[in-house]
Amino acid sequence: MPVDTDSLQPHDASREAHSDNEVFRLNDLDVHYGKFRAVRDVNMVLRKHEITAFIGPSGCGKTTVLRCLNRMNDVIDSAKVGGQVLYHGVDLYGPEVSATEVRRRIGMVFQRPNPFPKSIYDNVAFGPKVNGVRSKSELDGIVEESLKGAALWDEVKTRLKSSALGMSGGQQQRLCIARAIAVQPEVILMDEPCSALDPIATARIEDLMQEIKDRYTIVIVTHNMQQAGRVSDRTGFFTTEVNPDSDRRTGTLVEFDRTPVIFSSPRDERTEAYVTGRFG
Amino acid sequence: MDELRKSFHHDLDKARDDLALLAARVVEIIPRATSVLLDGDLEGADLVIRGDAEIDAHAVDVEERCIQILALQAPVASDLRQVVALLKMIAEIERSGDLAANICKATRRIYGHELDPKLRGIIGRMGEQASSIYAAAIEAFRENDAAKAAAVDDMDAYLDALQKQFIAAIFESQAAGHIDLQVAVQLAMVARFYERIGDHAVNMAERVTYIVTGKVPDHKKPKRPQVNVDDPAPSTGAAEAT
Repeated sequence: MPVDTDSLQPHDASREAHSDNEVFRLNDLDVHYGKFRAVRDVNMVLRKHEITAFIGPSGCGKTTVLRCLNRMNDVIDSAKVGGQVLYHGVDLYGPEVSATEVRRRIGMVFQRPNPFPKSIYDNVAFGPKVNGVRSKSELDGIVEESLKGAALWDEVKTRLKSSALGMSGGQQQRLCIARAIAVQPEVILMDEPCSALDPIATARIEDLMQEIKDRYTIVIVTHNMQQAGRVSDRTGFFTTEVNPDSDRRTGTLVEFDRTPVIFSSPRDERTEAYVTGRFG
Repeated sequence: MDELRKSFHHDLDKARDDLALLAARVVEIIPRATSVLLDGDLEGADLVIRGDAEIDAHAVDVEERCIQILALQAPVASDLRQVVALLKMIAEIERSGDLAANICKATRRIYGHELDPKLRGIIGRMGEQASSIYAAAIEAFRENDAAKAAAVDDMDAYLDALQKQFIAAIFESQAAGHIDLQVAVQLAMVARFYERIGDHAVNMAERVTYIVTGKVPDHKKPKRPQVNVDDPAPSTGAAEAT
């Protein structure tokens, strides 16, 4: 594929800083929107082939942190990212790193399914075509593999040329996952991927996440704590703190641990209060 | 801080309170069972046995409410630990009630047989110690106090030592022709019932530790130090307060 893949190769100097198991390392991550400090001092390591969930009340910065992981905040002019987001030891915000290559390697699935107003086939083939794949047979192979990977192939294989907009919400979201994996990313970021779906469609997406986690590293933002408990290996709880100098709140990471620990014996009383509902 | 799940937490608190009440009933019936045994009180035995049926019914009720909480409220963190602990503890309480009833059933079987003062003395001490251990465990539960819970095991070591002393005294009494073999066997079982009540209290205390710390009991207990039953019985201080 004619994309710049060199910019994300680990530098020799930073190789020692991370283990093979480590995909992301956030060092004192800070995000400002203009003068407003949205998130402060986030430190965490996200590991390979694990599902990591971010939970917390609205405005706690979990989506902001997620968007830092594939430089989606670049599209917001006022956003300024401080600290470091290391991806395999490479600073994602380094001057030599290509945002396009970052987003090819680190795909994203959004809250509302957002298929293009095109056929099912063209939705999945879009990314590979942009990346320079021209061969029809190669594209056919990628589309089939991606739809199978998203547990959608059997439902749509006879109507690949139909509009994606005619699918159910759950199918559309799985199509978005197929579209994300068609460009062979290493990481898939999911921003409340099931919040617009019914329980059955939600269960299918959750099953799918378990099926594909041995091939991808997944980070999911969810408001649904049971979902975080069901699907994730590790959970990060974020909350908001009132700034002493303004009435605006800044998000921060309170606790990050294995999911069973967060939901059975969290260490921080703020986590305990949030997950048990003694927080409002 | 606003409470978001008031109704759920109210249900959980209620289940907790009911469990504590049920455990308090066990604390009460242990000395009654001891008096029944020492006095040969058959009428009292019937009362304790009937009381055990009530404990059983209440235990089922608490268990059902815990299952309902699990099914409907998906508790997590300390709430989850509470529900899991309640489900484990309710079984201990129910079984402890059965054991107190068993002491009364043994009373019927040895009715009319005189016991040595030494045997009677140790029975009295086993009854007091079992009741004290139970009171200590429930006090630790009510106060969510892991330190008090940790002391329960030491108290149980003393009860175990009393049981061993009692078994030796049974042999002596039987060898001296003061009691026949059938009575000796019944008394050995009674000693076992007290000892088991102590073990159930220890299990309850372990669940208190789990509620407070999240640490699941490993059941691999370290070897206990030798206990001399002539020394004063260890206590958490909770038993006296109850």
